Amino acid sequence: MTQTLPRFSTGIPGLDTVFGGGFVEGASYIVQGQPGAGKTILGNQIAFATAAAGKKVLYVTLLAETHDRLFQSLSTLSFFEKDRLGSNIVYVSVFQTLAKEGLGAVVDLLRKETKRQNASLIVFDGLLNARDRAETDLDVKTFVAEVQSQAAFVGCTVLFLTSAGIHDDSPEHTMVDGVLELHDELVGVRTVRRLRARKSRGSSALGGYHQYEIGNNGISVFPRIEAAFHTPSATDNPDPKPLRSGIEGFDEITGGGLPQGSITLLIGPSGCGKTSFGLNFLSASSREEPGLHFGFYESPERLLLKANALGLDLKGSVERKEVDILWQPLTENLIDKMAHRLLDAVSARGVKRLFIDSLGGFERAAVHPPRLVEFFAALTNELRAMGVTAVGTWELRDLFASGVAAPGPEISSLLDNLIMMRQVEIRSEYRRVLSVLKIRDQSFQAAPQEVYIDGHGLAIRGQFEQATGISTGLAKPLEA
Amino acid sequence: MKIVVAEDEFLIADLLVVCLEEAGYEVHDAPHGAGALTLVRSLEPDLVITDFMMPLMTGLELAEAMKADTALQGIPIILVSGAQGGIARSRTDLFDLVFDKPYAMDRLLTAVADLGREKGQR
Repeated sequence: MTQTLPRFSTGIPGLDTVFGGGFVEGASYIVQGQPGAGKTILGNQIAFATAAAGKKVLYVTLLAETHDRLFQSLSTLSFFEKDRLGSNIVYVSVFQTLAKEGLGAVVDLLRKETKRQNASLIVFDGLLNARDRAETDLDVKTFVAEVQSQAAFVGCTVLFLTSAGIHDDSPEHTMVDGVLELHDELVGVRTVRRLRARKSRGSSALGGYHQYEIGNNGISVFPRIEAAFHTPSATDNPDPKPLRSGIEGFDEITGGGLPQGSITLLIGPSGCGKTSFGLNFLSASSREEPGLHFGFYESPERLLLKANALGLDLKGSVERKEVDILWQPLTENLIDKMAHRLLDAVSARGVKRLFIDSLGGFERAAVHPPRLVEFFAALTNELRAMGVTAVGTWELRDLFASGVAAPGPEISSLLDNLIMMRQVEIRSEYRRVLSVLKIRDQSFQAAPQEVYIDGHGLAIRGQFEQATGISTGLAKPLEA
Repeated sequence: MKIVVAEDEFLIADLLVVCLEEAGYEVHDAPHGAGALTLVRSLEPDLVITDFMMPLMTGLELAEAMKADTALQGIPIILVSGAQGGIARSRTDLFDLVFDKPYAMDRLLTAVADLGREKGQR
């Protein structure tokens, strides 16, 4: 029979998920990374979370930096509570003990101190310095082994923080139960922080890189969506009843609206009415069917203005809390952070109508674009399982073009419904057209429809006139 | 005048020892309270300057141990602390003076000199 080992929560958002539910109680971990990667913040954040849970922490430093300076920089972070110093968390320096009496004396001191403090967690900051003092690799191995075995004996979890430079085959790695690597790398012109659970004994960790950031609250980890939602968190219960779209004339040509719990891709060039489509869709939200606008372009204020100009009372919906607007400016973004933010917002309010403007916003944030297929697969599966009917836009590059460049075929096939909108030039006039190309499990009218935007939002009132080349935007009326 | 310094942090201990020695005192230091107590017992110094948070024995425990020992209870103790100044100030029975880190070395040296004069007069 398999059993689950008792866990030690790190208190760092997302990190427990990466370690398959937290650290293992009484186990030992190496946290390694270049200076500036956030090791000390991570160690202290876990220390304060542990203390906040009513447990005792022993923070041992082997650094030349004084504790005072450490407290000074930590005081800028929200988790730091000065009152806990000396009571729940004790900071001690063993620099002098190491220098004067060697590694053996440090081991001895740690054993006595752990017992004296009744510590549940030891954070040992500066393992590399211990290496410097060791005559051979064997000494460090013995040191790590002794510290961890005496800690494990009293059920105390140990973190060894160290600057990069310990290799896979180093004795320390073979000794400890887990290794967490922190990376701070340049990708193009931006830096990206990523961490990786390199080794995790007794717990199935989510492998590979996960993005993290360091803010005022300390470290937040964003487990890679396709790993964290390898399978959806809930069972998918598809409801065959369509959801009314909120767009005049649309439900009539699609067999009742959009299938519930489906993902729609709305493609078209700039100015064709995609955002208006979404605002109409959201304006059908209610208390029972909450809506969410997750956009990269317009600020919430501008969206409300736009809706007002369309003749839609989005402001009222927002005030009645039927619709929420989450704006994610298209600047330097972390793709997984955004996806977690989206999913959290959906589950917090039980969102049923979701408009994402646009899916390209996620694509722009992808540091490693080849994973987008798996990313969107996990995200859309999770949304479906949560019973969300989502509409996502995709910008076409050319206003008028014979080629229609939808997202890659792998991504398009992840979506249930496909709608194309564009401006069409015909008889020296520009008119808007909407074509339903695919609707999951519902029959629909495949003919291009003329789109009207005339004071009551977006509306469809019949087929576009007979012409050729409509989908390219340059239409020619059929000869009589 | 003989002074025992108890401080686990190397940089602080080092600076304190150098400054006190330059001021003409005989200084002995230990990296934790337990080591300092051993030194105090063997040297019977005129003054003890101690940190609060230290391994094996805190500055508070060191002071308590000294006050419980009739041979040592007369030795003045200065506490130098980052976060526990408040706890220490409520124990006027243990500490003659409390300094919060970071402190100005001049002020500490003046206080040490004052304590030395007082002790000389006694």
